[in-house]
Amino acid sequence: MKHSIWEITKNVTVWEFNRFFKWMDLVKGFAFFAFFGLIGGVVGSWAGSQAAETPVVAVSAYGPFNQEGFEITAIRFEDRSALPADSLNSLLMGGEIDGILTVISDREATIRTNSDRAWIMQLQTHLNELRSGYKLEQLGLDAAIYTDLTAEVDLSREFDSGEVASLADKFLAGGAIALLLMAVFMGFAYQFTAITAEKQQRITEQVLSAISPQTWIDGKILGITGVGLAYVAFYGAIGVFGIIALAWFGAPVHQTLALINPLFLVTFVLMALIGTLMWNAFLAGVAATIDDPNTSTKSGFMFLPMFPVMLAFLALVNPDTVAMQLLSIFPLTSYAVLPARMVLTSVSWWEPVLAIALLAVTAWLLRVAAGRIFAAGMMMYGKEPDYRQMLHWMLKGSNQTQTD
Amino acid sequence: MITFSNVTKQFSKVKAVDQLSFAVQPGEIFALLGPNGAGKTTSVRMILQLLQPDAGTIRYGESLLKTGELLRTRIGYLPEERGVYQDTPILKTLVYLASLRGMDPVRGRAVARQWLERFALADRAADKVSTLSKGNQQKIQFIAAIMHKPDFAILDEPFSGFDPINQEVISDLIRELRNEGTTILLSAHQMQLVERIADRILLLSGGRELMSGTMDELRTRMGDGQKLEVTFTQLSHPELLSASTQLDARQDVTTGQWVVMPRPGVPLNQVLEVLTRAGSVDTLRTTQANLHDIFIQSFGVNNGGSDEA
Repeated sequence: MKHSIWEITKNVTVWEFNRFFKWMDLVKGFAFFAFFGLIGGVVGSWAGSQAAETPVVAVSAYGPFNQEGFEITAIRFEDRSALPADSLNSLLMGGEIDGILTVISDREATIRTNSDRAWIMQLQTHLNELRSGYKLEQLGLDAAIYTDLTAEVDLSREFDSGEVASLADKFLAGGAIALLLMAVFMGFAYQFTAITAEKQQRITEQVLSAISPQTWIDGKILGITGVGLAYVAFYGAIGVFGIIALAWFGAPVHQTLALINPLFLVTFVLMALIGTLMWNAFLAGVAATIDDPNTSTKSGFMFLPMFPVMLAFLALVNPDTVAMQLLSIFPLTSYAVLPARMVLTSVSWWEPVLAIALLAVTAWLLRVAAGRIFAAGMMMYGKEPDYRQMLHWMLKGSNQTQTD
Repeated sequence: MITFSNVTKQFSKVKAVDQLSFAVQPGEIFALLGPNGAGKTTSVRMILQLLQPDAGTIRYGESLLKTGELLRTRIGYLPEERGVYQDTPILKTLVYLASLRGMDPVRGRAVARQWLERFALADRAADKVSTLSKGNQQKIQFIAAIMHKPDFAILDEPFSGFDPINQEVISDLIRELRNEGTTILLSAHQMQLVERIADRILLLSGGRELMSGTMDELRTRMGDGQKLEVTFTQLSHPELLSASTQLDARQDVTTGQWVVMPRPGVPLNQVLEVLTRAGSVDTLRTTQANLHDIFIQSFGVNNGGSDEA
């Protein structure tokens, strides 16, 4: 009979992973969204083509503007200045025309339609242009002078660092943060479900009579982290395929792809792995102290891992502040902030090294502390420990239960 | 196999186990009996090292130790607090739980199938546990506790949740396990079944030993092992029965019959004298005291409360 700690940890890891990672559900879920996305695309495209039919606007009065000026591709103007208002209204009601335009002066005009229409904005722009031309004519200015008068100052931007985060940078950084958010969110959902359900289903005593709490929590952390990362890998792969597909169709995504360098990939994968492990250890420890997830005040703690991911989004705005530099090394936030900074700005070589080392040490300490809380919390039914008790267990362990 | 020496465990102000000493011998079925809160579950949890004693020592047989550490692979445990994974297939659940006891998955699958066939559940192997009835879920938990052929099995209330037919099946299985070499520590409330299968019994009260031994030894300690079932045509002085120092008497609320057990060393003549002074005896039958009688006589009326300890 095999019973090494490694063997048992592996068995628990595989069990927890298989409990929650369902290939078929993932594929079905993706197929569901892809199917409805496709339908949405087809419907949107059809609606767009319908909307693309050039609207017909009957002009009942031109005001001070020349009739020849009413000529744009987005709208077909028809001269109906001879028709009485009742007849025009009949045409509008009958759907033969889409609107009735009446220009009263160079400052005033009305457009009558059955309801609000998107092309009215284009009509507004065109009327503005007609008015500018009319005014230029009145003032005796030619078009060149007008262009010169309305020209904008060309402000070019320069940065001390010599680099600036482009849209492609932000797209990649945002994508990396979103993937981390998904990994943490999966960990939150499954760790919470797994542990509180085991407590409520009274499975804990049977398992704890066979293996130590630390072995059990280690397997849970690894298995559920695996689930989160498997989802990240799945959707990350779909994202990469999507980018390649866009590039295939000629979209300018090569800038984003060029940013994915090996150093960034290694750092991102390492930090995502250790960071998710660390937060899953935290979540397992907290979940073990929850007796009833519907009423427990500790459920709120489960959202804490979301915090560093939110901070990472701030890095998208300005990655070079001292606060962001510190947060990219601080172990509770580094796994989300540093990868974002690595894409958006230049970081020194020692920053990823220090951040990974600190993160790994913190993850290990949190694993031990969570194991102690888990050992005591899992055998506690009908009541929950207070924070002082949890701190005591975390620092010294519980003398009520076994430990490794 | 297991030796308790002056073991004490206290929760806040409650002494759940109080200087308890007993030994479970290899190859026997040892039953722990006691009213709710007697300390049975606490004792079991200390054996499994889920709780640590405040004082005293628990020693384990060599087959349960490896380099001084408790070898959990050699122990089987059916907890009183029942539970099993609901959302996973039955066979996979059994194989997983057996793997935690060190059983190879391939062998675990084969053994689990054998047990499922024995319980007529083989055709449900791929179903989720939640689709089974409560009784069948109990069977799955029983299988999980013993399928790795432990040297020592702790079965806490193994008969609860079963109908009488399945209680018989489980009691036969427990004896079979014992005959194949597994030492069994049993805790149950079904006195008739315990009496039939237990080799030795320990009666607990308030965390302390009340008495222990084989059924014959317990009967002897309670008197000559006999009990009298008495009906009265007229019971003029019931207080003589309840206050007597020579016998213990209680009235069966369903039959109205009085069950009388002589105290140790009291001759039957003296008992009859008390009975005739109390009233006019109509019928009298002598039978051997069973475990239920001993239990009731030891603890008096049924205790209320929950088994928190």
